[in-house]
Amino acid sequence: MAKKQISIWQEIVKGLWRENPVLATLLGLCPTLAVTNTAVNGLAMGLATSFVLLSSSLFISSLRNFIPHQVRIASYIVIIATFVTVADRFLAGFFPAISQSLGPYVPLIVVNCLILGRQEAFSSKNKISRSLLDGIGMGLGFSLVLIALGMVRELLGSGSIFGITLLGEWFEPWMVMILPPGAFLTLGFFIAIANWINDRRATA
Amino acid sequence: MTQHTSGSGKMVLVLTLITALSGAILAAWDSYTAPKITYHREQALLVAISQVLPAHDSTRTVVLNGQTFYEAFAGDSLVGVGFQALGNGFQGQIRMMLGMTPDLETITGLEILEQVETPGLGTKIAHDPSQRSDPEWFTKQFNGLLPSPELTVIKNATPTHSNEIQAITGATISSQAVVRILNQQIESARQAFRTGSEVVHG
Amino acid sequence: MNLFLIFISAAVVNNFVLSYFLGICPFVGVSRKVSSAVSMGLAVIFVMAISSVFTWLIYHLILVPFNMEILEYVSFILVIASLVQLVEMFIRKVSKPLYDTLGIYLPLITTNCAILGLALFSVLREYNFIESLVFGLGAGAGFTLALVIMAGIREELDMAPVPKYFQGAAITMIVAGALALAFMGFAGLISI
Repeated sequence: MAKKQISIWQEIVKGLWRENPVLATLLGLCPTLAVTNTAVNGLAMGLATSFVLLSSSLFISSLRNFIPHQVRIASYIVIIATFVTVADRFLAGFFPAISQSLGPYVPLIVVNCLILGRQEAFSSKNKISRSLLDGIGMGLGFSLVLIALGMVRELLGSGSIFGITLLGEWFEPWMVMILPPGAFLTLGFFIAIANWINDRRATA
Repeated sequence: MTQHTSGSGKMVLVLTLITALSGAILAAWDSYTAPKITYHREQALLVAISQVLPAHDSTRTVVLNGQTFYEAFAGDSLVGVGFQALGNGFQGQIRMMLGMTPDLETITGLEILEQVETPGLGTKIAHDPSQRSDPEWFTKQFNGLLPSPELTVIKNATPTHSNEIQAITGATISSQAVVRILNQQIESARQAFRTGSEVVHG
Repeated sequence: MNLFLIFISAAVVNNFVLSYFLGICPFVGVSRKVSSAVSMGLAVIFVMAISSVFTWLIYHLILVPFNMEILEYVSFILVIASLVQLVEMFIRKVSKPLYDTLGIYLPLITTNCAILGLALFSVLREYNFIESLVFGLGAGAGFTLALVIMAGIREELDMAPVPKYFQGAAITMIVAGALALAFMGFAGLISI
């Protein structure tokens, strides 16, 4: 019993660091780079992706014995695209400002390799409860990285975090941070820092 | 062989079922969210109207020659006319709300409703984060301008005439697109508003 | 909007990879050697041209007339997935050498967000049929350009003394950032 408890916990925690979708496995880089020019956008994209991931995992793991092997990918993408449409319309209906600033990157969740990858590697082979835990962990890990990236880029690029101005008039915003090059540079440094932390842990 | 056909039969069946289910979920969700999305679009329009027109306490929608105008009244007197201006920018459609005095000679305000210009450059027509004290300086330039004979864009200089606006550095095409769209739409609005006869209250 | 402007804009000014971040996965994965980058690029141009035509037809001749825009994403991704499969089968039948150069990259293309992104952007920008096709070709050319430049740099990078923690994905991102910065220079290319 105790052993199972630990492994359930680990099912969630693995997504946060060891198998983090962005920092460790480099999945779902397109939205990671595209929408993290502000912390709010990062948060919204993280939540939308987690929603699609969780609902697809739930659906696919409960249908896993029913979907023939040859058409599994086609079935997965139909299911994923359905939930993406649900999320997209939800944002447009309730949070029009966020929906506008995320633009076509919400529908692009359909081709986020993270989601299809988790279905193929995990949900299609595991029980519903396990798949949900895996989805929670992965979604959380993905969202946290997006929020962190958004915070760094927004702070350096506009002098604020979550829209609250932190750096005063003396600060000349680094425009480049909220433009495309800033996305690549920030993520590059994030990955390098993650490598450094892993290395220190391994030697410690 | 028979096993193969039954296998592909099941494949088709499962895929059809999943797609049908997806269609059903989305149809239900569409009927729930579509009214909300329309509502937000109308709200955004109303907010834009009130921002581009001079202080007023009531508005009225009229359609002249197929063009929609939003008339603003302070008491009984007409203080401004607003209308949407649509056209192609550098990347795609730019949709704006323009406010003018009732004689359609002076601009009272401009709001960008929708644009898909180059991130960080063309998007400055709506919001320029490099000018922190005034990120909407580009649209504000239009306040009080007299588009006669028409608006013109100048580069790398401060405007001196009442029909000139300054282009955004690095986004000349987007700046020019905004002005081109406005010139066209002001012209057709003047014609519709001055000669139009059919009035529909909305 | 003229077609030349659409092509140049999609290929360099708003490069799909470097300013829209579409197709990052193959950009990181397949950009180790120039030769494979060229093959992958050609496969993507091919699929983009075909899929821009098909998604345009589906959207404007089926979804819009029947008021079913809500099925946009589901139908686009299905069309793209089946197209990629058809193209793969067709190439395998028609030419063995062509299949050996392009074929192995085709399955990777289904989940390449650049293809779906192309279809979504076409709808968003209200391109007509010809404009969509030109947009597809331009975007494909831009993808290939970015991929080949990146592969060229990475071949050199293998011999460069990269700091320990930056080796691998991190330095790829930094280089991509420098490239994106360089590509921003193209923005002045078509200012009148």
